[in-house]
Amino acid sequence: MRDDVVRAIGLAVAGSCFGAIVWVYSRQPQTLAEASGALSATIGVYRIDEQAFADGLRFFRADQFAAARLAFDRADQAHQDPRTQFYIAYSYYREGWGRVYVDKELYARGLAAVDRAIAAAPRGRIVVDDADLQMHSGDELKAELETGVQASTEVNPLTVVRRHRK
Amino acid sequence: MSRAVEVFWLPLVFLAVTLLGGVRIADRLVFLRPPLSALVLAVLLLAALVRCGAFAPQRLMNPARSALQNLSGVTVLATMFAATVQAFNSVIPESGLPRLIIVVFLFVLLLNTLAASTDRTHVLRSTAVILGSMFVLKYIVLAALSDPAGGWLKRVLLGALEGVTLGTVAQEPFGLGTGYVAFVTLALFLGGLAILPRRDSGSRRALVDAGPGALREAQ
Repeated sequence: MRDDVVRAIGLAVAGSCFGAIVWVYSRQPQTLAEASGALSATIGVYRIDEQAFADGLRFFRADQFAAARLAFDRADQAHQDPRTQFYIAYSYYREGWGRVYVDKELYARGLAAVDRAIAAAPRGRIVVDDADLQMHSGDELKAELETGVQASTEVNPLTVVRRHRK
Repeated sequence: MSRAVEVFWLPLVFLAVTLLGGVRIADRLVFLRPPLSALVLAVLLLAALVRCGAFAPQRLMNPARSALQNLSGVTVLATMFAATVQAFNSVIPESGLPRLIIVVFLFVLLLNTLAASTDRTHVLRSTAVILGSMFVLKYIVLAALSDPAGGWLKRVLLGALEGVTLGTVAQEPFGLGTGYVAFVTLALFLGGLAILPRRDSGSRRALVDAGPGALREAQ
């Protein structure tokens, strides 16, 4: 084979490998599904499992948050769909909110999920048009979760009078 | 050095090191970006390798080569630098006092290697010893000290370091797989360094070329 052709192939292979490495280090995929999902999201062809999402939404509205998250995870295995990640974060928020306490661990997981939603949304803006929710944007949900995580104590009787944004 | 080595094998070996150098296996897979200190250490090692002749960039990039050939030379150099950064990233501890001590230690050690400028074999051997000992320190000694379960090595070390608290030396424990990945990474890196184009030993050449006629006369 001609020298120029071989060198051009070598350069193309090395360049694409280097690009893939930079991409992996910036996106930090955890599984192969996440890696392929993030890649397809990058080129705009990522699709979630709509049936699993509908199941998740049904569980979410019935306050079965753990089951809802399982279904949402099945729907969005690559964690690349902003709307699904928003609902996952919301499920942590609702489950973690108690009358006199907040579960900081659940709130922290919710914060991680809403961060994923914001990262995956175009220009970081996510708005979910759902009449059953009191918060529709990722920013509102993130602020609520951050307030809970940053609270000095999990048990606070004063939260009895605090408004819970269902 | 053959064309296949220059165009495919060296870049791919160094890219594999670049990918694996930051891999940490905990409850999830983490691709750790290199610290700035790793870049500084990589520059020093690269300089030492060039100075001793273990790596001859002039054989990969020179005016006699075509633009595409020079571009493949640049690729080897760039991937080698990235791999060196990641090799240091894999052996530098993640936090605390050990990180500071080891970065300073490596800095001084590499400066010394650079100043001594010994031959290729010595510098490659020295690099293997430096990276190997850092590997043992991080993935065996520090990992044992940071192990929450506490194995026999931790008990021995704690016995030897009686009175010392582990608050400043303990690292975030990683999965066992991290050490294996780091071992493979360092082995690949050292293998890559060994097949780099080296400087011709010009000092051993005759000062005056005898030419083909001289050989016929001798026969």
